[in-house]
Amino acid sequence: MDRTERILDLVALLLDAREPISWAELREHFPADYGGSDDAAERKFERDKAELVELGFPLTYVQGDDERRDGYIVDRDAYYLPEADLTKEELAVLYAAGSAALASGVFPGRDDLAHALRKIGFFAGESLPTPRVRMELGATQAGQEKEVSARLEQLWDACASRKWVEMSYASPKHPGTTQRKVDPYGLALRRGVWTLVGYCHLRGGLRTFHVHRVRELKANTARPRTPDFQVPEDFSLDNHVAYFPWQHRFHEPVEVVLRLSGALASRASGLFPGAVLEPVAEGGITLARLRVSFLDGLARFCLSLGADCVVEGPESARSRLREMAARVANRHADALEDKVSA
Amino acid sequence: MSNVHERLRRLLFLVPYVSKHPGVTVEALARALNISREDLLEELDLLTCVGRPPFNPDDYIDIYVDNDRVYVDLDQRLFAPPRLTAGEAAALAASAELLRPASGDALQSALQKLEHVLPPQVRERYREMYRKIDASTEAPQALGPLTRAILERREVMFGYASPGRAAEPRRVRPYELLSHRGQWYLQGFCHTRQDARLFRLDRMEDLTVTETPFLPPPDARADVPNPARSSSEASVRVRFSPVAAPYVKERFGQDARPLADGGVEVLVAGDSERWLTQWVLSFGGEAEVMEPVSARAAVARAARASIGL
Repeated sequence: MDRTERILDLVALLLDAREPISWAELREHFPADYGGSDDAAERKFERDKAELVELGFPLTYVQGDDERRDGYIVDRDAYYLPEADLTKEELAVLYAAGSAALASGVFPGRDDLAHALRKIGFFAGESLPTPRVRMELGATQAGQEKEVSARLEQLWDACASRKWVEMSYASPKHPGTTQRKVDPYGLALRRGVWTLVGYCHLRGGLRTFHVHRVRELKANTARPRTPDFQVPEDFSLDNHVAYFPWQHRFHEPVEVVLRLSGALASRASGLFPGAVLEPVAEGGITLARLRVSFLDGLARFCLSLGADCVVEGPESARSRLREMAARVANRHADALEDKVSA
Repeated sequence: MSNVHERLRRLLFLVPYVSKHPGVTVEALARALNISREDLLEELDLLTCVGRPPFNPDDYIDIYVDNDRVYVDLDQRLFAPPRLTAGEAAALAASAELLRPASGDALQSALQKLEHVLPPQVRERYREMYRKIDASTEAPQALGPLTRAILERREVMFGYASPGRAAEPRRVRPYELLSHRGQWYLQGFCHTRQDARLFRLDRMEDLTVTETPFLPPPDARADVPNPARSSSEASVRVRFSPVAAPYVKERFGQDARPLADGGVEVLVAGDSERWLTQWVLSFGGEAEVMEPVSARAAVARAARASIGL
């Protein structure tokens, strides 16, 4: 019998059973499947049982007594999805986010997510709200989505089952690729880019990897149901992934004061989330105090905002921005002279 | 995950779904399961063989297609789908994080209810897995009212600071929100400009949702203008140092032309001088505009301005 068919038969049998079903009975019911040697049959049933548990089938084995015999039994109430009584608004939020994530094509646990959306929609009938939210995630180049999506799915499985992965990684900081063995702890999305955080066996420490830079990926397939590693209790993804261009995991933060004028003054909170803002009395100017662990990143970002963004201090940050601006100006200086002389 | 697992999940949903929607069309059912018509018919075939021992005629699932509609007469107790697995709940909760600021209390309460319908033995695993995806992007606060306005089809008003100008009031029919490279945009019809417009959420201020209803057009999709992608009108030549080259290659792929010194050169659109200047400056000296000279001059001016020259 086909394995899918056999497992569904088991589901039907167990959902209907009023008494525990013993292993001997199961063998009688499925003579062709659980026939053969005792060992082989038991191993086959163990695999089927694991699959049932994975599906959320609450199967338990009860030891019999005078009243009851030994055998397998399922807690029916724990099997069926009850109505979660989600309000229209709650359903709308879950649906909007879930379908946008699915439609982006690039979200870890896509299959899981699709099933989850179906299930929460089961009781909602036709009244499901149609969201208009679209997200482009995880891919830096058009056409890369499929590859990133496949990697995320593999990494999600590896994170969930705590199996190490082997990958070749193309860091822009070094030519070529490096081979890494990584214990995947989790996946984080920042500024539209997916990052894997995990313990890197090559570097002997926690490292982050952009998923679109992973070239080849293989998860450890040995002993699939036994985890290869433990995630430390105090581990938090958030501590290891930089949110903003002015953040760096390894550097000590310094406080930088920025002076924002013109159109930037009112946009300060959006441009520099987390900064302490202070409007200057004469108006039209906002001072932003920001903890910065990556001065070069900050300087580049400020430079791109234009002349309405000025670094007030400290001097190290001021001079870094000046150096960069001067470098750009010098490289393009002849154009200005041409223009002036013309 | 194995194919068997995926298939089982699908089938354990399929039977209850048909049980709840007797006479659902083959098309609609295939859509609900996100599979092709052919695959669905194959699944239905398999289901007719499923039953429980001793396999008497009444012990089988009785599911059939009649006049292109699907019915189930005997569901063998598959009248509701299984509860969410830890992985399903975790993926759903993590995706909801994408809109966290938008959803406010509704998200929190939805997640609580969700956890409540999980079988007790998987709750801990769900929490563990939920911690493994972090998609709490820096989604702006404005997502909240805007999502609501789009769903309730109500016009919005906000002040908008377009490049180089102070904020001015806009009245807009919000159609769609879209996130591109971590930046959020609202696409809609702007009454003030009498035209379709794309607004960046970080340039909006004082957003209010009005009581004025509107009917959205059936298909309102916008693409984010991305000068780096529209190579047909590319007229600006930009050169990058070997330090910046790998990052540029990542984004431009084959379109990044390698140079002898290890750098690369790309062509980008030149219709937005502001975008171009910002972009070049964001490489902090590792990028240089080669031509046209007007674009070189614009970058030079912007760089000098930022050091007060």
